[in-house]
Order: sequence, then C-alpha cells, then structure tokens
Amino acid sequence: MSDALTLSNSAGKLRLLLAVRGRAMSNRVAQAVRNAPVRLAAALFLIALIWVGLYGLFHLVFVQLSRTPLEATIAIPLVFNFFFVAMLALLAFSNAIIVYGTLFGKTEAPFLLTLPVAPLDVVTVKYLECLALSSWSLILLGLPMMFAMAATSKEPIFYFFFLGFFLAFIPIPGAIGLLIAWAVARFFPRRATRAVTVLAVVALVVVIVAVLRSVQFGETATEVWLRAFLSRMSFVQSALLPNNWVASGIDNALQGQFTVSFCYLGVTLANALFLSWLAVRTVSRHFDRAYDRASAGRGKSERLAIRASGGPAGWVFFYLPLPLRLIAAKDLRTFFRDPLQWSQLTILFGLLVLYLTNMPTLRLEFSASGWFLFIPFLNLCAVSLILATFTCRFVFPLVSLEGQKLWLLGVLPLQRGRVLYAKFAFSMTVTLLVAVGAMSLAVWMLRLDAVWSAIHLVVTIAICFGLCGFSVGIGARLPMFDQNNVARIASGLGGTTNLLASVALVALVLTGVGMATWDSRFDSAHAIPDGRSILLCAAAVAVSVAAGCAALRLGARHFSRVEV
Amino acid sequence: MTDGLDDSAIILSGVRKSYGRTMAVRNLSLRVSQGELFAFLGPNGAGKTTTIKMIVGLLRPDEGSVSVCGHAIGSNGVAAKARLAYVPDQPFIYDKLTGREFLYFVAEMFSIPTQQRDLRLNTLIRRLDIGEFLDHLTESYSHGMKQKIVLAAALLHDPAVLVIDEPMVGLDPRTVRSVKNLFTEHTRNGGTIFMSTHTLEIAEALADRIGIIHRGDLIAVGTLAELKKQAKREHSLEDVFLELTEVNDE
Repeated sequence: MSDALTLSNSAGKLRLLLAVRGRAMSNRVAQAVRNAPVRLAAALFLIALIWVGLYGLFHLVFVQLSRTPLEATIAIPLVFNFFFVAMLALLAFSNAIIVYGTLFGKTEAPFLLTLPVAPLDVVTVKYLECLALSSWSLILLGLPMMFAMAATSKEPIFYFFFLGFFLAFIPIPGAIGLLIAWAVARFFPRRATRAVTVLAVVALVVVIVAVLRSVQFGETATEVWLRAFLSRMSFVQSALLPNNWVASGIDNALQGQFTVSFCYLGVTLANALFLSWLAVRTVSRHFDRAYDRASAGRGKSERLAIRASGGPAGWVFFYLPLPLRLIAAKDLRTFFRDPLQWSQLTILFGLLVLYLTNMPTLRLEFSASGWFLFIPFLNLCAVSLILATFTCRFVFPLVSLEGQKLWLLGVLPLQRGRVLYAKFAFSMTVTLLVAVGAMSLAVWMLRLDAVWSAIHLVVTIAICFGLCGFSVGIGARLPMFDQNNVARIASGLGGTTNLLASVALVALVLTGVGMATWDSRFDSAHAIPDGRSILLCAAAVAVSVAAGCAALRLGARHFSRVEV
Repeated sequence: MTDGLDDSAIILSGVRKSYGRTMAVRNLSLRVSQGELFAFLGPNGAGKTTTIKMIVGLLRPDEGSVSVCGHAIGSNGVAAKARLAYVPDQPFIYDKLTGREFLYFVAEMFSIPTQQRDLRLNTLIRRLDIGEFLDHLTESYSHGMKQKIVLAAALLHDPAVLVIDEPMVGLDPRTVRSVKNLFTEHTRNGGTIFMSTHTLEIAEALADRIGIIHRGDLIAVGTLAELKKQAKREHSLEDVFLELTEVNDE
C-alpha cells in the first residue's frame, strides 16, 4: 500500500492542471487539422474576414473623425469609455455564467475535487480558463478597433500599448464575474441560473432606461446639443471605473503623453491583479461550502406535475396531430424551463420593445414624405436580424439535441421525417409570438397606414417561416448528434452554414421590401402602394416561404434516412 | 489529524444531510475497517450516492463528521483525498485526451514516480484489457471502455480507500471477473473498498459486511449471516434486502 504519499507542492499541481489543458487543446487542433482541414480553414478565413471588415469599418470612422477636430477631441475618449464600460458589464456577466457552469457544474469540477489538489489550484485554473473563454469577444471586436486607431495615428508603438491595455483590462470583469458566480452558488443555490438571469435583465433594463431618459433629442443636432449630450453621458467617465482608466490611457497615448498613459496602464494592471487575487482567494477559501450548496440545490426545485399532452403547452399546438403535438409541447416546455433560452429572447426583444416605445422622444416627423416608410423598414431589418440570431442559436440545435433520443423517436409509430414538422411548429409559434408582437407595436407607434402595416406584418411572418424552415431543415441535414452543448452545435459547420444562409435570406427578402420602400418614398403617408411595390413585397414573401419549405423538405428527407 | 488508535479507514459520525426539506441521510454512524470490502445497498433515492459524496468530500454533512484514514475530509481534505480514489456512477474523463494521457495525469496528480507508474500501469493494462484503445482519444470510447479506464485510474495509485458507485455497469463478463479479483487482492493487501451497488450477487460474493440504507436511515449493517438473522430469512441477499426494506416501508 502506498501510504507514504509525497504531495506535490501547489505550484506543481497548478502546472499539471494547466498542462493537461494544453495537451487537450493540442489534441483538439491536431484532430481538426487531420479530420476536417476544410472546416478549420473556413473558420480561420471567416475570422480573418470579420477582423478585416471590422478593421476597415473602424478605420473609416476614425479617419472621418480625425477630419473634424471638435468631435474627435470630445468623442474619441467617450467612444472608448462607452466601449469599455459595455465590455466591463458584458464580460462580467459572461464570466459569471461560464464560471458557474464550469466551477459548480457536474463535469470536471467534481472529478478535480476528489483528487488531492487544493481548492486554490482548482479555482485558479478555472478562472484562467474562463478568462480565455469569455474574452474572445473583446479580442474579436476590440483588437481591430485598436489597430485601426493605431494605424490612424501612424505610431507603431501604439499597437503594443493598446495590447497592453487590453490584457490589463480583461481580468477586471473576469474577477467580478468569478465573485458573482460564487455568490450565486453560495447564497442562491436553488435558482442559480434564474437568479443570474433576472439580475442581468434587471441591470440591463435599468441602464437602458436611464440612458434613454437622459437623452432627449432636440429638433436639431447642434454643437450645444452635442455638449449637453456628452455632459449627460459623463457618468461613464467616473475616475473610479476601470473603463475610464483604459480610455484615458489610450487617449493620453494618442496625444503623446506617454508618462500619463503609463500611469493609467499601471493603475489598470495593479487593480486587475489585486482584484484577481482577491476573487480567487475569496472563492477558493469558501469554495467547498459554495460547491456543496450548489450541488445540494441542483434539481430540487418545485414539483412539476403536468400531463404530457395537457396544460398550456399542449393547447398551443391544438392544430397538430397527437404525436407531433406531444413533441412540440415537449420542446415548448423545455424552452420555458431553460432560462438561458427564454432570457436571451426576452433580452433581445425587450430591447427592441424599449426602443420602439421610446421612438416618440425622437420627435421626428414620421408622416413627412420620404420618411414614413424608412423607419418602419429599419424596424423590419432589426426584427429580422434578431430573429435570425435567435433561430441560429436556439432553433438550429433542436434536431441535433434529439440525437441521443433517437432510440425513442426512431421507434415511435410515425415517419421520422415528420418529427421535423413538430420542431418547425414549435419554433414558428415562439418566433411568431415575439416578432409579430414587436412589429405590431412598431407599426402602431408609427401610426403606419393599414396597407403598409399589413405588408410589414406579412413579411415578418414570411421571414419567421423562412428562418425557422432553414434552421430546422439545415439542422436536420447537417446535425451534430454526438453533441449536447447547444453553443457547440450552433457554432459547428452546420450552424455556420445555417447562419450564412439565414443572413442571405434576410438580405434577399429585405432587398425586395427595401426596393418597394424606395419606390414609394415620395408617396403621401396614406397613399396605397403601387402595383410594382406590392409585387416586390409579394416576391419577397414568396422567396422566404419557398426557401423555408425547400430546406424543411431537404432536412426531412435526410432525417428519415439517418443512422445513429 | 490522525488519531492512530483504531484501524478504521472510514468513519462517519452522526452524519445528516438534507436537500431543502428532503432528508437524504439521517444520523448515519458507520465505521469501515482497513482491509474490508463494505457493500452499501439501498433502493433508488435511499441516500447511497449522497453518503458516498460526503465520504469523498464532494458534499458537506449538515451535521456530524466524516474522516478517511484518520483525516477529517472537511478540514484536512487534501491529505484525506491523497489516500482515496473515487469511481462515480457517471465518471468524467477529458474527451480530448487519450486514455494513456489521462492515466498519466492522474498518476502525476498523486505524485507517483514514473517507474512505479509504468509498472503499475502495465499490470492494469493486462488485467483490465485496455491496451488496444489506450492511445485513442477517450471521446471514441464506449461506456465499458470508459469504465475500465476510470477503474485503472482509481487503482493506479494503490489507494488506501477505494469508493465506488456501481462498479460493474457496462463491463463485459471477463472484465467483471478481473475487477472482482482486483478488489479481492486490494482488500487482502490492506486496502478498503466502499462499494455501492444494485447488483446483489456481487455484494453477496465479495462483501465482508453489508449496509442497507433506506429513506436516509441505515436500517441494517453486518455480515451476510447477521443480516439473514435480522431479516429472519435463510435465503439469498435479495430476499433479505426485500424483507428489510419492506418492513421499513410499513
């Protein structure tokens, strides 16, 4: 019996935990290069494309701003301030969600906790992992902006300077997220996900309402108005907020004041390190109790006693035959029991509703010739793109998620391809409710003429049809049956194909409606649209419905033959 | 803290654990000696896994204490876990590591010298018949293959206490025989095994003592003969188990 175990020191264990991640990552990359080189190349190409596109866009903005000294002097620090304050909030919540899943979840954490490794090492390695996972958005969006800024200033040293600020900033929201996740596990273990979601939604709504209430647009955008607006926005420039240290540091570097900039970099770095130390120490010291509370609270919530075919979930799909109704009702129930799904839909459309209800504060003359169709068209664009985001993220993985239940679906007394129609009915129900609701609110707020209102609503329904058809059909044609992780399914080859197809469909449909809008721009607000405009909109609707049907058919044919 | 006064490998003293209003384990006191194979039986939801999770330090008792080899699992967790191995009913393996890489990781975590690791691993490769797939990524393994790798990982550092939840699920008959032999050798060499199972034949064949938990209460503990006496049954463990759990339902 090897009783005299010599325990490695803590640093050794931490190195080992990091090394095993490195090995898993290198195996993953080697596997991707060996098995799917085209997919890997396509992913790298798309990332490069996004980077180049963003770089070009930001470069254009900064060049434009540099031509107008007043706006550049005032606006650039504010742009950075807004960018980093938004990143601070987003990354903190993103980290909190990832940390909660990884540190208090049911996979690796319990395995590590049974090994002779100190909680400090487990928390440290998970913290570093989450920083890397949650910071990709900052890298993806932020670096092209920084490089564009550096290129505009023609000082190569800025590249390194900006990178330094980025790296120093990332741990601050990370540490806040770690503390939030720990507090939720420790104090709200029973409804952890719900608590984080509600907290995030409330915080977001409060911030947006506060911002919208502070912005009252005048009749003209003068320099006086700009100064007043910037003065109202000054709360994001508080000296105590990390976003201000980064923004001020970058601004000072741009003005050649490197000493001051270094000072801000030092402040950012010192605070990042201190916060990380504090968060990791606090969480690791009280980790076992938090883990115990999270584990004990998991899955012990309220009793749910609903008949499979009954209850509201069953009534919604009254028009479907019983077997399909059962499947659709099951999906609807799962949707409402998963806060991640309904909360994202609520946030996306909540923001849209907030914007729509605040439109009167714009004080624009919507009934004026040339304007009355432009804003509704933009609203339609917003609704369509949000819908595409939702269907790609949540509807597309539905079929893949059934992969491990095909033993059941495969032996049910119905054609397997028909399962897709239940998925389609479910996704249409959810998306129609929110999209038609939002568009109805939009046309009502704008007092849009009845014919144009009807056109916008019909186009919205057609886009719902097309996008749901794409997500379900392509989801069945290019599934990932071995995967349970929704995010991974949505970001795989099928998910990327679906995203590109959905964006292309939305662009096509909106082009038709956009042309009709352009043709009617000089009509009076209550004029009936001409034949060409109606024809264009009808063609857009037909394209969307036909594309949805074709994708569904393709998916159903493949799904009925698939072997798992 | 090591008292060194008795030979108990696992001690549970007045342990209680609840999930909200549900009492999972009620005032459980139990000692498992060094070199003993203890089978822990009970119907679904009786509190077996909760008890096991408290022994390995994944859950904290609301009341009472748990110690492994004289080390309190709460206050001296790392020292206790160095002497412990745990095989859960749904084990975790890094899917992007090969079986060998995973086993090396575990060996290093327990600070096993390389030579000793290789020697031990070769024995386990032969006994569990894992050589054929050891260098493939674990994501391609079947349930049985994963179970074999996890058992190898658990036995690699020759733990003083082995805690297993349903050890034979997914294993082929040849491996079941190997695992039984490995368990017997392990206890013969002074190791302790705490095993939760629904396969009563295995408990009957291997266990030195058997404990039956029902609705959070340890309703019976002893050798098979003692349990038969308590249940007033002379037949199989299955009859004893059904009799005891039925009586307690009434």
